[in-house]
Amino acid sequence: MNIKELLNKERLYSDGGFGTLLQARGLRGGEKPEEWNITRPDDITAIHLEYLNAGSDIISANTFGANCLKFDNLEEIISAAFANAKRAVELCGKERGFIAFDMGPTGKLLEPLGDLPFEKAVEVFAQTVRIAEKYSPDLYIVETMNDSYETKAAVLAVKENSDKPVFVSNVYDESRKLMTGASPKAMIALLEGLGADAIGINCSLGPRQMVDIVKEYVKYSSLPVMVCPNAGLPVNTDGKTVFDVDSEEFSDCMAEIAKAGAAILGGCCGTTPEYIRKTVEKTSDIPFAPAEKKDYTFVSSYTHAVEIGNTPVLIGERINPTGKPKFKQALREGNISYIINEGVMQEEKGVHILDVNVGLPEIDEDAMLVSCIRELQTVSSLPLQIDTVKPSAMEKAMRIYNGKPLINSVNGKQESMDAVLPLVKKYGGTVIALTIDEDGIPDTAEGRVAIAERIIAECAKYGIDKKDVIVDPLAMTVSSDNRSGSITLRSVRQIKEKLGVKTSLGVSNISFGLPSRETVNSHFLTMAFTSGLDCAIMNPYSAAMMESYYAFKALSGQDENCAEYISFASSLKKEAVTVSASAVQKDSEDMHPLIRAIVKGMKDEALKNAKELLLNEKPLTVINEYIVPALDKVGKRFEEKTMYLPQLLMSAEAASRAFEAVKELVSASDSGKGKIIVATVKGDIHDIGKNIVRVLLENYGYDVIDMGKDVSPEAIVEKVKAEQVTLVGLSALMTTTTDAMRETVSLLKRECPDVSVMVGGAVLTKEYADMIGASYYAKDAMEGVRFAERLFGGKE
Amino acid sequence: MIKLITCTGDEICVNKDEAYRYMGLCRDYSNAEFERIYGECLGEYRKNVFYKGVYRESSLSFGEGDELFFDFCSFKSHALKKNLEGCSSVVVFAATAGINIDRMLLKYRALSLLKLMTADCIASSGIECFCDRINGIISEGRETKPRFSLGYGDTELKYQSDLLRFLDAEKTLGITLNEFMMMTPKKSVTAFIGVK
Repeated sequence: MNIKELLNKERLYSDGGFGTLLQARGLRGGEKPEEWNITRPDDITAIHLEYLNAGSDIISANTFGANCLKFDNLEEIISAAFANAKRAVELCGKERGFIAFDMGPTGKLLEPLGDLPFEKAVEVFAQTVRIAEKYSPDLYIVETMNDSYETKAAVLAVKENSDKPVFVSNVYDESRKLMTGASPKAMIALLEGLGADAIGINCSLGPRQMVDIVKEYVKYSSLPVMVCPNAGLPVNTDGKTVFDVDSEEFSDCMAEIAKAGAAILGGCCGTTPEYIRKTVEKTSDIPFAPAEKKDYTFVSSYTHAVEIGNTPVLIGERINPTGKPKFKQALREGNISYIINEGVMQEEKGVHILDVNVGLPEIDEDAMLVSCIRELQTVSSLPLQIDTVKPSAMEKAMRIYNGKPLINSVNGKQESMDAVLPLVKKYGGTVIALTIDEDGIPDTAEGRVAIAERIIAECAKYGIDKKDVIVDPLAMTVSSDNRSGSITLRSVRQIKEKLGVKTSLGVSNISFGLPSRETVNSHFLTMAFTSGLDCAIMNPYSAAMMESYYAFKALSGQDENCAEYISFASSLKKEAVTVSASAVQKDSEDMHPLIRAIVKGMKDEALKNAKELLLNEKPLTVINEYIVPALDKVGKRFEEKTMYLPQLLMSAEAASRAFEAVKELVSASDSGKGKIIVATVKGDIHDIGKNIVRVLLENYGYDVIDMGKDVSPEAIVEKVKAEQVTLVGLSALMTTTTDAMRETVSLLKRECPDVSVMVGGAVLTKEYADMIGASYYAKDAMEGVRFAERLFGGKE
Repeated sequence: MIKLITCTGDEICVNKDEAYRYMGLCRDYSNAEFERIYGECLGEYRKNVFYKGVYRESSLSFGEGDELFFDFCSFKSHALKKNLEGCSSVVVFAATAGINIDRMLLKYRALSLLKLMTADCIASSGIECFCDRINGIISEGRETKPRFSLGYGDTELKYQSDLLRFLDAEKTLGITLNEFMMMTPKKSVTAFIGVK
């Protein structure tokens, strides 16, 4: 019998806790349970058998922690685990004894928050799956996962190495979130997209606390829901750890969970065969309701899912180089901070999704898109729209994306559908479908609807449901054809009515070639929303566009008590007040306005004054006669302790803004006074001090190569040679990493004898710096700058 | 047995004096613009933080020289031995401000160095305040020694993994270690508290 024949046709029962039963049989603290597969096979078989006899249809092989990070003898462990499980099934003799290969977390957190690269995690899981496949499991259970990203790695590993069903179960805490932040809806969106066969919840909570999460799963998921609670919470009774929910109460709650619609029932920590037996008894008469297909359109991030179709959704368009010279420059320089900044700023403006387009002919788009997605998804909680015309870049980005992305885009050309739709099927996603094909963009709404219909039909061939297709009927400029606006709006209405799918538009195109574009765009946005538009790709920095959005929501009854509108309107007022307050800030000291702005840490004033000054002064004059003297003034006060670190940083940030204006007028090679490498040494992840040094050095006109944190001595030496650098700044904060500092200095002295090395950091002293042969010890960031000034000025 | 304590950002008052001290500021430092930035960072921190801590009692015995024996490991340390003198057992704990704080700091790193530094110092002060709360619960009704963390004095960080396993901290708190025994989430603390 195949488990797929039963799945979602009748209620299935899995097994319960393993650890508590092993402890009762003598497993010691710190001993790995999987080792018992080899050393105590009879005990493992006996526990499986007890569960099968109690009514479990599915037993999990004792392989929860079996991966190559924890075991050298992985194949031996897995082989023995299957032998034990198979023996139990044979001994039990019942037909329904499905053996699951059980997969738990690796015990490592994935990059960039942790240190396990995503692809390495996929490979760790894939290795176990490849071994497991030799023993023909009936299914895979990925369980007790508390991180969405690691869950994705595990599911991908199963899907890429096996065609067996995969059930996926996550751990939620009392706040109904995974440890790394994902909500149930976010996990449902991610896992349905990846093609899991059943999804659910286990561990951490008792059955009572799980009821509401189960209801949420049943409401939004089209897949059967699996629920394996703990036997409540651990308590200490007479010196022993026991769980506070007994088998009677547990099974009563499980009956409630079954009635709520869960399709697979089992237990986790603290539960025993008795818990399963009673659960089977109390639920077998409850009628089974199969999971039904749901029509919610979701995209998700690592924290939450955004539903499309309920209320208008804004997609921020600013991460896109088109028509933005500064953005292009950032891409060419690999300046990811600039791009992240764009993302965070748009999030603060209130968009719901961020479009990410980094296509530029002269850069490696695949690598850049992956880097941007990786960084953005770490700092922004918004779902991302992967926007590229390169299928290779799209696949790489979809693979490493931590959630269910919006894909921009597929179109009616067969070539486009052949390239994009297999990716959507494999990695999951909601795809934007543009109504253009080999013959171009039809000039009637009916023509555009016909293309949309064809794309939806093609999606169906791949098993991509139309709820995951959002049609963009394309806004063409009204300046060349004044019917454009009305054709597009009619298309929006017809696509929704005839095809029943959601719609999206890049609204700004409508005004191309016209003056006062914001006016046209914002009115068009209102008209499009009124026609039923679901998503708008737009510029959230435009106050007029945001006004249209908030006003539309208030006027269409989608903003209770007009609360969002009122909050938006008051934020506009606040911004105006802040600007006027900083404009009137004065100082009694007689300083040039640019110098005063830097000393006072007024960023916008610094930029404005630098721009004014650059109308008459050469860029180098602005640096040497205004920015540097201003910083010197601040630095002196800092050294005299009449000014403190926050003010030094405020001034540094103001100086950075002034530098932006200078940089626009000079090429990178002209502006540098010298090249300096800064890095935090191997093993140390603390980098704030190093970052302060970097910013100050940049402000003084140096070309700083920041190698980041946890950098090996070899990598630093290699960079020094490649870039022909004469000064390296190293930082370390931990006592444990001072050794790495010594090794780095020693390797630099040996391999690059001409290079000067300045060192600093909380645990360093001048004595230690001298002992390890560093050229200079800087007790704070300003001392580092002073040393660089002396060195490059020929005074060291 | 392992006991769990959780607190929201509103339940723990971040010690401003300590946060200022970490930034190298005296407690009466005053600058209106910085006050505004501090307030903004504190607001973000309180929104993102979710404190979790676990503690568990272990036996303690003293061996030859500086050797110390616990339920989960044994090692030599003169400094910790001195700290634990006269104690009959220890309570070990792990506490974290949560992974959202790591994300918040990464966001500030991209936005503003000043905000990064300010938020980092707020978070360091916040987790210490939470540790004080745990410390208070552990010490209630009994005489205890000041808490002592691995890495201080002559104690080695390598025992961190034994300590975290004893507390099941990966599962309960989501704390993982890298190859250099550094914890993630970044604002996490482990410590020994000697019980007389």
